Amino acid sequence: MTADSGIPMSKAEALDRVDGDETFLQELLNMYAAEHAEKTGAMENAIRAADFRAIRDLGHSLKGSSANLSLPRLQDAAFDMETAGLEKDLEGALKALNRLGHEYRRLKDFLGTP
Amino acid sequence: MPDKIPNRTILVAEDDPISRRILEKKLKSWGYETILANDGRGAWEALQRPDVRLALLDWMMPEADGPEICRRIREGKKTNYTYILLLTARDQPQDIIVGLQAGADDYMIKPVNFLELKARLQTGQRIIDLEDKLLQTQAQLTELATKDGLTKLWNRTSIMKCLDEELIRARRTGSSLGLIMLDLDFFKKINDERGHQTGDKVLIRIAEILTKGVRPYDKIGRYGGDEMMIVLPDCDLGSVCLIAERLRRACAAEQIRANGKAIKVTISAGCASFDHLVRPTGDRMIQASDKALYRSKAAGRNRVSSFPVQKTRARRRTT
Repeated sequence: MTADSGIPMSKAEALDRVDGDETFLQELLNMYAAEHAEKTGAMENAIRAADFRAIRDLGHSLKGSSANLSLPRLQDAAFDMETAGLEKDLEGALKALNRLGHEYRRLKDFLGTP
Repeated sequence: MPDKIPNRTILVAEDDPISRRILEKKLKSWGYETILANDGRGAWEALQRPDVRLALLDWMMPEADGPEICRRIREGKKTNYTYILLLTARDQPQDIIVGLQAGADDYMIKPVNFLELKARLQTGQRIIDLEDKLLQTQAQLTELATKDGLTKLWNRTSIMKCLDEELIRARRTGSSLGLIMLDLDFFKKINDERGHQTGDKVLIRIAEILTKGVRPYDKIGRYGGDEMMIVLPDCDLGSVCLIAERLRRACAAEQIRANGKAIKVTISAGCASFDHLVRPTGDRMIQASDKALYRSKAAGRNRVSSFPVQKTRARRRTT
């Protein structure tokens, strides 16, 4: 895993995980888009309610999805969210949420999706 | 393909839909039937199915996490073993010990290396296959230890145990319990004149007729030689005699074919019941039905007697 690399996605690695099946990878990326939107929405609510357990769980879950698709920067941002939940750090959670949005926009640019 | 995995059902319990989808596709391509669950409750429900013997459980799931499911499965009474592989995050190595202590067989760190997963699942299958063989052998040994090899009726030890158990039940519930002792008339003659193989065939056929003629919860055992014993729960002496008479008629009506010849075989029976004896024990019930059987023999065979003597509708052949 290239967690510290600058690119949003290690496409070769992701493709390798799905045996080179581009169509399947696209299906997973579409799922990820829905997942990202749903989870970040839930994170906003959890931050508003200072529900640290939910913050941790949502971060953990999005971290897993990101790792599966070799999205190191989104994985990092989700890990920050999970950590903020564990440490009961609302400011950290907000930062992680912004980062998740920013990194997702970068991913879309990288993939050339609207 | 030499490493093609035989069809197996595997549970994938994972709340992350992407991981779930990737695992589903991979496992199917390896020949597995997949059952998917997105939380602990769904996983627990799926694990109640007897065909689910392999499970991939995510550590963190809503409702109940992976270790919690492991603990419940290991504490439960599922007959067959379930091989559980826990999936955990890379940054939580402490989970591994907790997971294994909770009853997981193995663990893998996510994102999963699929070649490794395939190999580890094959290990799981080997364990399940070994357990299946062991259970099969155990069942065969139980059959050998409890059944009569020729007639497939209960053997003497088992039928005696059954009588003792039913006596305890009858005492506790205040219900009755009947016993029939029977043997084949002139069986020695069949063996002497037609050979032991014919005698064996006769015994097998009589055992079949008796089995067909009793209620599903009655127990029939081969007491020894051509003597058979039937334990009839919840049966008073009158009912025992009626059942014995029905069996006698069924046997007498049969033409048993052996070595191309038809043989007519009759039985004599003696009946006893729990509620007609003073301080009944298994031994006393056997003694009573034995006395009645002796009476049937003395009265000319092919008949049913009881101890004490019982007047029944089947009186003509009942003494």
